[in-house]
Amino acid sequence: MKKFMLSTFTLTVGLVLAACGDSEENTGNAESTETNTASETAASEANQELNWALGVDPDGLDPHMTTAASTFQVSNNIYDTLVKVTPEGEYVPGLAENWDVSEDGQTITFYLEEDVLFHDGSDFNADDVVYSFERLQSDSSARSADYASLTEYEALDDYTVEFYTEALDVNLLGKFAYPWAAIVPEDADDELTNSPIGTGPYVLENWVPQQELSLTRYEDYWGEPAHIQTVNFQSMPDTTSQITSMLAGELDVIGITGDLVDQFEGQEGFKITEEPANSLQLMAFNTDHEALADERVRQAITMAVDKDALINTVWYGYGDKIGSHYPPILRGYVDHSESLSYDPDAALELLEEAGYPNGEGIELDMYLPSAYPAYVSAGQVIADYLTDLGITVSIHNVEWAVWLSDIYTARNYDLTVTGHTGRLDPYTLLARYHTDSPENYMNYSNEQVDELLENVQVEQDEAARDEIYAEIQNILAEEVPGFYIQSPIGLRVTKDKLEGLETYPIDIIELKDVHFVE
Amino acid sequence: MQNVMKRLFNGLVVVLFISLFTFLVIYWIPGDPAAIALGTEASPAQLALVREEMGLNDPFIVQYFNWLVQALTGNLGNSFSFGEEVTILISQRLPVTFALTILSLLISVPLGFVIGTLSALYKDSWFDSLARTLMQLGNATPGFWLGLIAIYFIAYQLGWFPIAGFVPLSEGLWASVHSLMLPAVIMSIGQVGSIIRITRSSVLSALQEEFMLNTQMNALTKTKTLFKYVFRYAATGPITVIGNTAAALFGGTILIEEIFALPGIGRLLMHSVTQRDLILLQGVVIFITTMVVVINLLTDFLVDTVNPARRSA
Repeated sequence: MKKFMLSTFTLTVGLVLAACGDSEENTGNAESTETNTASETAASEANQELNWALGVDPDGLDPHMTTAASTFQVSNNIYDTLVKVTPEGEYVPGLAENWDVSEDGQTITFYLEEDVLFHDGSDFNADDVVYSFERLQSDSSARSADYASLTEYEALDDYTVEFYTEALDVNLLGKFAYPWAAIVPEDADDELTNSPIGTGPYVLENWVPQQELSLTRYEDYWGEPAHIQTVNFQSMPDTTSQITSMLAGELDVIGITGDLVDQFEGQEGFKITEEPANSLQLMAFNTDHEALADERVRQAITMAVDKDALINTVWYGYGDKIGSHYPPILRGYVDHSESLSYDPDAALELLEEAGYPNGEGIELDMYLPSAYPAYVSAGQVIADYLTDLGITVSIHNVEWAVWLSDIYTARNYDLTVTGHTGRLDPYTLLARYHTDSPENYMNYSNEQVDELLENVQVEQDEAARDEIYAEIQNILAEEVPGFYIQSPIGLRVTKDKLEGLETYPIDIIELKDVHFVE
Repeated sequence: MQNVMKRLFNGLVVVLFISLFTFLVIYWIPGDPAAIALGTEASPAQLALVREEMGLNDPFIVQYFNWLVQALTGNLGNSFSFGEEVTILISQRLPVTFALTILSLLISVPLGFVIGTLSALYKDSWFDSLARTLMQLGNATPGFWLGLIAIYFIAYQLGWFPIAGFVPLSEGLWASVHSLMLPAVIMSIGQVGSIIRITRSSVLSALQEEFMLNTQMNALTKTKTLFKYVFRYAATGPITVIGNTAAALFGGTILIEEIFALPGIGRLLMHSVTQRDLILLQGVVIFITTMVVVINLLTDFLVDTVNPARRSA
């Protein structure tokens, strides 16, 4: 009864406000408070609209000049790549209809799609491809290092391009599928940051940074056109505002964290989807530390922490437990989630064996990046377990900039909690365990791992490569240069009428396939 | 006139000092802005290039003077993260923050003035006690918390206002004002208390002045007295407070703009801090400082105009 009165009151007030305001904005508001009838009617109309909340603004829309995930989630819909990737991680044609790889694996020839138009009306051809990769390799590009191995490339004719790599790259195809390998029109340059021109299914309509970014369907798209006419990304940094807007029906999609599931569970009109991510979270050990150099100490620490409890406490249970540096959704995963599982007594025995009875004499400095509250919480929980083991842990919260320079680059730490994002190819994820890798911030060194990492780069047989990756996973699970916690599960709340939103092994959103159902 | 020049000069010194101070603070903050911009995948060569681009390789004093010389010609440099001139970014955000400030002043000033005057006239009555209690409460309640509560109950449950986001003026004056109304009210709640307090005490002390005896002897009505003598005498305090309030509102919009997703100066400042966009950060800080100094100067002149006794002082 109370509820009825409240909604009647709401409706009345809404109508009154709408009546005196005479602007569309008000009418929209009054309707949206009445659950989401608005979206249901919208679904039957031709001019559909999708409203999406952005917590972080894109760092410009030039795909070659940034590394920000917030950019690629949007820009991926404006630009196309030569090769595309499916949710299962398979390569399928993009702007390239098909391709040939030479016997030695060093030359790849792309046959391009014809009759493709850029958003500015110009024709797409091989020169645009060459120009885009030149731009991607230029000094000002954020990814130049990744593409330095493409030493020669040229347009054989208007619709054929040949690339040559100096060193054999067994995962060459992946290089052409990442959203930063986007094809831009020849001669387009700095203006792409604010006025992107691509061949993709959506055209940038309007962008007011920190306010709103809207895309409209590109009617001359070369492939299957998008379903939804307009996509509005609304810049909304505060989580509470996002949730409230979602509840009010003003948004169609938001990302949430585990603690907020209750807000939407059982609510009519919404659905929650779990999305395994191609990433992992761990507590890294600096193996240069006297005690941490001993693998028994690292194993003891691993066994001293109840991983399930940790995931439940910090991530509300939304994570897949792992035991090696490898997320379950990546091809070639070996399940080590139960290796060195929680056993505090065995941990104490191992410590004693290593010469540290009751953890005496081990003092560790743990650095936690304050920009990531979950990592800070995880670190605190782990430190608690370590104290039970008799190990002294001092926690230092550091700013992200400090973490990057002092911890990640200068390696001045004993323990730190962080995360790593995988690529299409497992190699990039594991390469940091090579003794000479500049990204080996754990100072880990194992000749066998070094050799495996070197071999895998020249192994052309995919099954043989997966075997090598499995072997590396086994070694890491045994020697634990990191305490491997979990592969996070992303949570997304959408209107239940929204379909076609897929999860990809790279951090992109494919808006083209999204649609509303009745 | 000499007085005016002196104050202008003082204001300029303040702005200069603040610019040097922020530059120093930014310089001493640990962490490499180039590393922030490039993330965990940057190569040393790229880092070096970006540092050079950002002018981070020059000695401190050179960096500062380069910036200052440019700033004096009205060029606050280019934002690294937006790839846009700082002055343009500020001018895009200014209308939102400006409108928000004006709107909350329009709410808090009349409200504070009326309640403060009534409180003074009916000192120690139930109204006075209620007003003072509410004032304390308003002062003590954090704005961001009130904002979140208001979003849930007033914007969502009642649906009186949009939940978040700014409607630009181009879509109609009413819609635009409507989108700023709730945050403006929240901001006024934090400010109205000090206006009430100072109005109340100014009016109280005016009522106790000797000239009030004359008005009673001249048998003037209470209302006439109030408007003819008391307000004029008592105005100094409230005007100063309004100036301070305007300055505080202008510089204090960060949390409110974050919560209500308004694209104003506060959001810009927040972005510059998290992205370590130093040039932008410096520009925004200097802009806010200058605005605060200007508001204070204007307040001073206004006080002088209203109360001639201050002019010679």
